[in-house]
Amino acid sequence: MSVQVYIPTPFRRATNNKDRVSVEAPNVKALLDDLEAQFAGLKGLVRNEQGEIHHHVNIYVNSEAIESLGGLSTTLKDGDEVSIIPALAGGAAPAAGPSAR
Amino acid sequence: MSGARVALTPEEFARVEAQAVAEYPAECCGVVLARASTPERLFLPCRNIQDELNRKDPERHPRNARTAYYIDPRDLLTIGRREAEGFRVATIYHSHIDTGAYFSETDKRNALVNGEPAYPDAIYVVVSVMGGRVDGANAFAWDAASRDFLPVGFTIPTPAR
Repeated sequence: MSVQVYIPTPFRRATNNKDRVSVEAPNVKALLDDLEAQFAGLKGLVRNEQGEIHHHVNIYVNSEAIESLGGLSTTLKDGDEVSIIPALAGGAAPAAGPSAR
Repeated sequence: MSGARVALTPEEFARVEAQAVAEYPAECCGVVLARASTPERLFLPCRNIQDELNRKDPERHPRNARTAYYIDPRDLLTIGRREAEGFRVATIYHSHIDTGAYFSETDKRNALVNGEPAYPDAIYVVVSVMGGRVDGANAFAWDAASRDFLPVGFTIPTPAR
């Protein structure tokens, strides 16, 4: 079963500038495991040390956020498109730590 | 990259201005996508969901949309799809409310991923909205030599007459 993963610009430094990667995985967790095995630089960018997705990263299967599906257990099927989308944020106030977003 | 980079055309700036005023006192945000090979540009105003995040989880998101912006991930999904069609993020804009058009520490920090610029080729435009009126704008871009975001020449574009 092959799934297409869209790699956004901010993460392409870790994927040798590839914007699309084909992965065979039964669910989102396995997909991320596979991606991190292929591209070590992705480790830490998408998930924390506990394996949880960073709060500033959103993952979509086709057009659905995985929070509204099954989270990391979301089942994947042949032809699905997975997008990993980091936040784009900022603002006038000065930085106040990692929760300032 | 060839040729001078255009932060915003006069028409695009007029749209940013209108959006910034309409969304005051919330920060507005959006991007302009461009193709490297053609002059084609796409103006994509985005939704600032900072207020929703603040309401849902004030501990993690202590600021509201008056002092911060957070582009709706669904807009980012659209941007990603356009990137897959050959567009690149040329300009990222947002407004500051009742303060200057500076690139804040928050702007800088959030424009980096692991210390590297998330969109190294993009120009960041910040628009100051004072009392509901656009008061100024500045543009910033990543400077590899100083490893910082520095001001780039930007004058508020005016339509040709």
